[in-house]
Amino acid sequence: MTNMNVDKAYLLGLIIGGGVFGKSDNSFHIRLPYNQWGSVEKNPVRAGKIAKDILSVVSPMMRGIYGIDATYEATDKEWNVQCYGDLSKLKNDLVSYGISPNGELRKNVSIDGVVSDLIDDNMKRRFIAGLADTIGSTTKSHRRFSDDTQILSFEISGFKYDFVCQLCQLLHSINCYPDQVLWNHPNFHSANDRYYKPWKKGFKLRVKLDQYDKFGAFAFKTKVESVSENRNLQTYSNKKSPTCENRPINVGMSCVHIDEDSDLLPPIIRNGHYLHNLHVCCVLGCEHAPYDKMEEVLNDACKYINPFSILHKDSIENIQNLLKSEPIYSNRTFTVEKANVSYIYNLYQKSKHKLVYGTDETNGYPVNILVQAIAYAIAGKNGKLNGKRISGNQDEHITSYLKSNNKFDIILRIPEIPTVLIVECGEWSAMVGAENPNLYSKLISRDSNNKFKLIVRDITEEDLHEYFG
Amino acid sequence: MSTSVKKKEVDFYPEIKDFISSQLKSNFLASNHKTLHVFWEIGELSTKLNKIISEHPAECQCLKEYAQTVPPLNLDIFAVITDGEHFEILILEVKYLSSVGLQQLSQLIGYCIVSNARYGILLNIDGQGSSRLTNLLQNDEDLSKIIRLSKGEKVEHKLGFMIWDSITKNFEYTNLGQLSTISGLSDSLSRDFSK
Repeated sequence: MTNMNVDKAYLLGLIIGGGVFGKSDNSFHIRLPYNQWGSVEKNPVRAGKIAKDILSVVSPMMRGIYGIDATYEATDKEWNVQCYGDLSKLKNDLVSYGISPNGELRKNVSIDGVVSDLIDDNMKRRFIAGLADTIGSTTKSHRRFSDDTQILSFEISGFKYDFVCQLCQLLHSINCYPDQVLWNHPNFHSANDRYYKPWKKGFKLRVKLDQYDKFGAFAFKTKVESVSENRNLQTYSNKKSPTCENRPINVGMSCVHIDEDSDLLPPIIRNGHYLHNLHVCCVLGCEHAPYDKMEEVLNDACKYINPFSILHKDSIENIQNLLKSEPIYSNRTFTVEKANVSYIYNLYQKSKHKLVYGTDETNGYPVNILVQAIAYAIAGKNGKLNGKRISGNQDEHITSYLKSNNKFDIILRIPEIPTVLIVECGEWSAMVGAENPNLYSKLISRDSNNKFKLIVRDITEEDLHEYFG
Repeated sequence: MSTSVKKKEVDFYPEIKDFISSQLKSNFLASNHKTLHVFWEIGELSTKLNKIISEHPAECQCLKEYAQTVPPLNLDIFAVITDGEHFEILILEVKYLSSVGLQQLSQLIGYCIVSNARYGILLNIDGQGSSRLTNLLQNDEDLSKIIRLSKGEKVEHKLGFMIWDSITKNFEYTNLGQLSTISGLSDSLSRDFSK
């Protein structure tokens, strides 16, 4: 059994956060994903300080604890702490904690073994400091609605849900309650678009900086200075985040993504549909998860689930191909009409969540999403798109269109029964999924082995006929 | 308008004391599964030892004889580290200079020898070590591990040089001297107390 100490705890945090082991017996590196934040070209002053941090903090500690030499290598995208020497002592420690020193550790690691040896809060903080110095992002863009809530975001690639859960529990154990966990799942990275493929953007475990500063720590001066700069942007100190049990659960609508059955997802998560980040915590069985509150939400799940894309934006050609590719679309008969943008926009201004083009008031297309789709098509036609995002304000695109003397036509394709409504303008098109909680409730079931895991099956032609006759 | 006043050396003592205490206690708990007590004082050693004993009689009985025999000595800052049965003295020679050298190390060696303190750390706040100090500590192990005879008994002193980073409130290790890390100090204490 290894003898844990505070320096080892810090180094293990650093190594688990960024360690990459190859075939070599006498070298490995710690990847510091500092990207633009630490870019030699974009932030040369900070880059110089990062180099100093590696040489003055990591290098002597690595030498003193494991007898390994450490230096650095910087590219414009990332920093690597290059470690050379006899790795046997370090590898023995990792193996004794159940961590195989192969590949990129954080993508395939369980920290249970290490955590059980972190004997008190101080030692836990040292371990967390190592993680924070590698994967703790202090980039200002993590601020939310204003500068007043600055965040430290632990960014973890891969699909190790249990690692994220373990880290979250570790933070809980020192009374540092995470503000939010963004799980690496399509329901969170692509809640609106059923077909969005690049959803694999990693996990983000976010802690308010004010809170982290009280409980956590960094050993890198560059991180401390960055945190200090960010906190100075705040006009007040933030209250401690509530515990998960006491947190309000605000659920938004999400679509059933085609990758919910992805093999990349661990079996406990795969084939599930998730309504809220705390819903994942319940499925994972976390001791802090709000099970009773979540049960109430799950009983109303049909209000929050759409088997179609809520909004899928693409080229007209790709959407037409999509309509041909699935029977649920190709079996539809679409009525083509010119969109009365003025009428739709007025409806939207009166009641943003009103359903339109449905068979009764319980189903139809949410007017706020239809307005987004129209704004996308207008912006596309006017050359005001940044990828699939509208440059500027959505309302300005619509009002500018309405004031224009040379209005181009915006076409709506409306199916005979509420499924997907298509908006077209020039080369641009958008698909809007119908809301219909009464029908969609039939698609939802619970996993027999995990009552918190929702399974949403695909909608079929039979479901539509049974419901709409 | 507020003006920032440059901190003095003593202003850093509380954060340094707290940090070292926390690290030693964590390490000792992990290795020996026992609670370690660390009591800090500033000033004349004998007087302050007696103060510590009177304030913490249950933990510090083992100090009594030492406190009565130690010669008068004024120290920057020192710690009594004890598990209630054994104790060791750690002397910190704290400086707030751009560079520290042999003069400061000699001072620390003198304090350790006079007081019989087993452990001494030369600590520079946000500064460095001179090149001469670095060279000597790198090339001459005996300079930071002093073994001498005192009243016929072998006494060993272990020294180290570390930098206190006032921004991270953390140590930067220099790997210079016998005490290259706080965990190294903990290991040595752990062995001492297990004898």
